[in-house]
Amino acid sequence: MSLFTLGLARGLFGQVLGMVVGMLLTCGVRILLGWEAWAAEPAWTVGSVCSIIGFLLAVGALDDWLQWTKGVATPIHHGPPVDKPAWTRYFSVDYNHKVIGVQYTVWGILLLMVGGTVAMIFRTELARSGLQFLGLDLYNSFIGMHGMIMIFAILLGVGGMANYLVPLMIGAEDMAFPRLNALGFWFNVPGSVLLLVSIFIGGWDAGWTAYPPLSARGPIGYQLFFLGVFAIGLSSIVGSLNLLVTLLRMRPAGMSLFRMPIFCWAVFATSLIQLTATQLIGTSFLMVSVQRALGMGFFDPRGILGEVSPMVGGGDPVLFQHLFWFYSHPAVYIFVLPGLGIVSELLPVFSRKPLFGYKWIALSSMAIAIVGFIVWGHHMFVSGYNDILRIPFMYATLLVAIPTGVKFFSWLGTMWGGKIHFDTPMLFVLGAISVFLIGGLTGPILATVPTDLPLHDSYFVVGHFHATMFGGFVFPFFAALYYWFPKVTGRMYNETLGKIHFYIMTPAFWVQTLGQMGVGVMGMRRRIADYDPTLGQGQIENWQLAVTIAGFAIAFGVMLMLWNFFQNAEVGVAAGDNPWRSRSPEWQIPSPIPEHSFPAPLHVVGEPYDYGLADSGYVTTASPGDD
Amino acid sequence: MANNRRHFIIASVLIVISTVLVYWILDSVLLKPAAAVVEAGPIDEMFDQHIWLIAFLFALVAVFMCYALIVFRARGDEGDGEHIHGNGTLEIVWTVVPCFVVVYFAWYATTMLIDLTRPNPNEYVVVAEGRQWSWLFTYPESGAVTPELVLPVDTPVRVDLTSDDVLHNFWVPEFRVKQDTVPGKITNVRFTPNVIGEYVLRCAELCGTNHSGMLATVRVVSAEEFKLWQSEQLAQLQQ
Repeated sequence: MSLFTLGLARGLFGQVLGMVVGMLLTCGVRILLGWEAWAAEPAWTVGSVCSIIGFLLAVGALDDWLQWTKGVATPIHHGPPVDKPAWTRYFSVDYNHKVIGVQYTVWGILLLMVGGTVAMIFRTELARSGLQFLGLDLYNSFIGMHGMIMIFAILLGVGGMANYLVPLMIGAEDMAFPRLNALGFWFNVPGSVLLLVSIFIGGWDAGWTAYPPLSARGPIGYQLFFLGVFAIGLSSIVGSLNLLVTLLRMRPAGMSLFRMPIFCWAVFATSLIQLTATQLIGTSFLMVSVQRALGMGFFDPRGILGEVSPMVGGGDPVLFQHLFWFYSHPAVYIFVLPGLGIVSELLPVFSRKPLFGYKWIALSSMAIAIVGFIVWGHHMFVSGYNDILRIPFMYATLLVAIPTGVKFFSWLGTMWGGKIHFDTPMLFVLGAISVFLIGGLTGPILATVPTDLPLHDSYFVVGHFHATMFGGFVFPFFAALYYWFPKVTGRMYNETLGKIHFYIMTPAFWVQTLGQMGVGVMGMRRRIADYDPTLGQGQIENWQLAVTIAGFAIAFGVMLMLWNFFQNAEVGVAAGDNPWRSRSPEWQIPSPIPEHSFPAPLHVVGEPYDYGLADSGYVTTASPGDD
Repeated sequence: MANNRRHFIIASVLIVISTVLVYWILDSVLLKPAAAVVEAGPIDEMFDQHIWLIAFLFALVAVFMCYALIVFRARGDEGDGEHIHGNGTLEIVWTVVPCFVVVYFAWYATTMLIDLTRPNPNEYVVVAEGRQWSWLFTYPESGAVTPELVLPVDTPVRVDLTSDDVLHNFWVPEFRVKQDTVPGKITNVRFTPNVIGEYVLRCAELCGTNHSGMLATVRVVSAEEFKLWQSEQLAQLQQ
């Protein structure tokens, strides 16, 4: 078997080829125009665009559509490849949503490890004041690198959970558009490759937010960064469209919207945001890209970029921030809503009690999604837009607290009076609640402008943000990994190792987030390579050291989890079909799940979370007429 | 039901204790820099109210959660919990009550923000220009240009901010307030220094390689000393 039987290897080769073709194309055009043949920036830019197309063509994600243009019908292939080992399907284009879900998740975990490693490097640097081993430019590149890689990782994690779970939870055989689903995943690979490669051609030093004018003056790495993000954005858009159609059109008889498993509501809300807001970050980055490449002065007030290409000026740097945050604030809800959905999904199972206030939780996700569209201005409270406009943005931002509060109180209501089991997934759910609570409660102090003024752009924001991301995504994602691991592999992970992971990671994270907030209040700015050791009456270094140690403890915990999964995926104890005694449809079928999931169409015969109601069921594969 | 009442009484007592405990922890970890402007008074007061609210809400959720985890843990049996789907009254209560808290804080912040940004006819104006990676201060009154910011104590100040290259941010932690400098436009920030001393202005918007080192000295001096300094600057200009 040659390496090129793997779609991934073919795709990466195609990406390199595309890059070369794009560069030659640029040189050719320049020669025709009578210019000097080689210019790094246009060559890399056109090369990057071609490299994405090259990857998709070579991996085979466009094969069926190309066949259709020739009028050749291509039925969807089911099951593992016939002429290759079964595992190769995970490295090639495959239309089964369960395979795609695993592909998303594994790629997401890989990026999580890369992003985490980058964080550990600069966290080590920050343990003491003064510059120890990182240069200023490398430090600035690393913080942006950490941010954007983690965002990719989170989007992939969300995509993994949604693609794997949604069709199973609504009893659909697959997603509405399986080919689009595969394309959605494969966009991510060339996108993340571009992002990772960009560090070697100069990196990018304006953070993941890439505010111009700095990003418009930065190294060439920015072009790869912008196009990488653009590719991931396309993945988000086609993926969310697919999920919305699946959720709206493929539910079985009797499953009204309010009878879906609650995770589906979270995915629905998230997908609505992804489908409608992602264009804005794509646009804003593309505009900076074009400003750099062609000299259009969208965000350039004075034509200050004369040396790259002639600039006319007349643009406004603040406009970029509006476009950017119109996506990037709702994006935070894209990350956390599925995570909160996992919390709501798992709590009833481990509390053996119905989800308290199902409709309120479902609608609170929608409320957060909708309000999320009118709060972007709080990221720009000190940016210099109209002073008075800060007030409505403040009101809107504080409003988010209300649906978020409904979730917390309803979770308490779910646990109250239950019979609570403390398996590893449940522990991570509880960890998620405690951490998201810290993240959520430190929101209002940033939302009210007077208290935001000292805290804005300080390390306090870093602490708040990491608490929302860990509580809203990382902890629930880990809970989901532990919870569905037996369903995906048919094997049980090691419970003791899982618990050790939890008891290391959770207190470590509390220390980390509290420390980050502490040094921020003391006066440390975010995104600085070196800090003033006299801040906080000289206490700042102790806290920095504590945060660094806590960070390493978290990384150790994550490695423990991955080792646990790696060890048990094939040889672990057989888990049985429904180790958690869940009512959800995916647990009523064998583990690992057969190619076509359900033997027959589902019928909904009850409520999803009727734990404690004797002789009640949620779904059945027998038609209601049978009994 | 009677059992629930007993649970709620115990939980309430624990919440009160925990609130004080969490406030104490936060108060000892979140060490604010010394205050050196008049505006720090109301801002810090509001900050403190937020910390009390955080402490209370954290205690509320954490106590109920931990309490439920202990009291309602499965004791080896495989049975299910109570079959309760929810409680409409409770949901309405915990939706509506937070609305009042939100409106209170929003209103409180709105009035304070209006005070913080209100122009003062007697304000002393300085122009600050951020450049990669240093600051330059121009005093329109005298035309003096200096790399350090010198301000008279107890005088309302407006700093007009601008930039020649990329975004920067004017922040002296002891002055609390913060404002971006934007190329192509003039933004401003107002405060009234009330403590004589030397402070550090720190750029708080990522601006490239030496962002962390983009500092400037800020000296708040007595009115007499400020006059003296001004005349020195004028003398230098005339040379």
